[in-house]
Amino acid sequence: MSKAIEIENLSYKYPDGTAALGNITISVEHGQTLALIGPNGAGKSTLLLAMAGFIKGTGKVLIDGLQINRKNLKKIRTSLGACLEDPDDQLFMPTLFDDVAFGPLNMGLEAKQVKTRVADALKTVGLADMADKAPHHLSAGQKRAAAIATILSMSPKIITLDEPDGSLDPRNRNNLIKLLADLPQTLIIATSNMDFAAAVADRAVLLDNGCIIADGDAEKVMSDSKLMTEHGLEVPAKLRK
Amino acid sequence: MHHAHIDKFAYQDSHVHRLDSRVKFIVVLVFTAVVISLPATSLSILACYAIGPFAILVLGGIPLRFALKHILVVSPFVLVLALSCPLYDKTPFAMAFGPFTWQSSLGWMRCFTILGKFIVTMLALIALVSTTRFNDLLTGLQRLGLPKLLIIQLGFLYRYIFLLIDRAHHILRARAGRKLKNLGAKIELKTTAAMLGSLFIRSIDTAEHINIAMQARGFDRKWRTISRLQVRSSDLLFAAITALFLLGLHFLVRPLLH
Repeated sequence: MSKAIEIENLSYKYPDGTAALGNITISVEHGQTLALIGPNGAGKSTLLLAMAGFIKGTGKVLIDGLQINRKNLKKIRTSLGACLEDPDDQLFMPTLFDDVAFGPLNMGLEAKQVKTRVADALKTVGLADMADKAPHHLSAGQKRAAAIATILSMSPKIITLDEPDGSLDPRNRNNLIKLLADLPQTLIIATSNMDFAAAVADRAVLLDNGCIIADGDAEKVMSDSKLMTEHGLEVPAKLRK
Repeated sequence: MHHAHIDKFAYQDSHVHRLDSRVKFIVVLVFTAVVISLPATSLSILACYAIGPFAILVLGGIPLRFALKHILVVSPFVLVLALSCPLYDKTPFAMAFGPFTWQSSLGWMRCFTILGKFIVTMLALIALVSTTRFNDLLTGLQRLGLPKLLIIQLGFLYRYIFLLIDRAHHILRARAGRKLKNLGAKIELKTTAAMLGSLFIRSIDTAEHINIAMQARGFDRKWRTISRLQVRSSDLLFAAITALFLLGLHFLVRPLLH
């Protein structure tokens, strides 16, 4: 069986020549929850964009066994759902229903199937009665949950989330942790919040300056105080001795 | 941040709110056309026409103050037009209100009629947008044959205008926090240009992110939506009542007032 994500020697430079990713090699099994941790500007978001096929570097990127290229892009976008950092960018339709239905409709599903998927996705994130709401009427926590629903409705095997805990209060952050823990998909979560990463991930990849510094069991990587401090991070509260 | 949405009452629930957006739009369009086509001397009948939108506002639970406030906001444009009438048309004209009659000019009559038509049609328009969710209105317009591209543009405008206003407020607040004295017109102009530039660049940034979000969900330049609009018997009844109201005013009330 193919792996959820296989990346070999991926390097990427921004148009101005700045190196964003350098020789990245990662392999992610299906069902894993991987936290991409690192300081600001480490290359976490760029790596997520490369996984979703929005930027093309040198090296090999396989998503669910398919190499990212023009021919496979539609299939890849069905198996990998990308959730952006700002929910306001993710929620661009006039109502929540239309936003969550956007993906399934582009997959070519029938109206009846789309409605079922929308209802299921909204129920999963706890927004079942908000389908007719306009996104700008939602709170920050609801927007984050809604952004995840827009991906869930496409039933992807892999979900990438860019700083999903950003601007959330503790209650909404805890709700998000519970929601992510219940998802059966492979999750790739980019975050610089170590407490959040420790609460959701079973594996952690530490990135800095576009390179992988450490890769392994989440608790083991994040409890190394020397490693964390060296890269501008901190040991999560629950792992502090 | 909270904004004064024009459709802030559209999320209420009432019989009027539940009506199909297409029916409401057509009714308001016909009503507006009828009111606009009334002769310039038909000031008295306008009060009767106002009953229609007024009834919709009351049935929909829309505060009259809200409607009047919005009429006031856009009134300067019409006021200029209306107040220019007495200047160029001084034909003598006898005005009457109940037992009182007085001599005036046709220009003043036109002025009051324009203002009356403006108030009545604005009431109808506010009744429409206050009882119809913007999205339903857009879907209705699309089903009525308006170009899809225009509908998409309007949808994006409605979705992101508030975000843009928020950002502008944040930038203004950041400036206010550091502006301790008047720096003179030249520097103020330079600062304003920089602020507008920043807003513009952030808008482009947002547009790029939205494009990524759309492509991530399989967007292939074909805009697909599900329409949940449905014309029911209550919609037909509403259209019939409006038609009877307009015909009644035209054939029964207008001859009486003449």
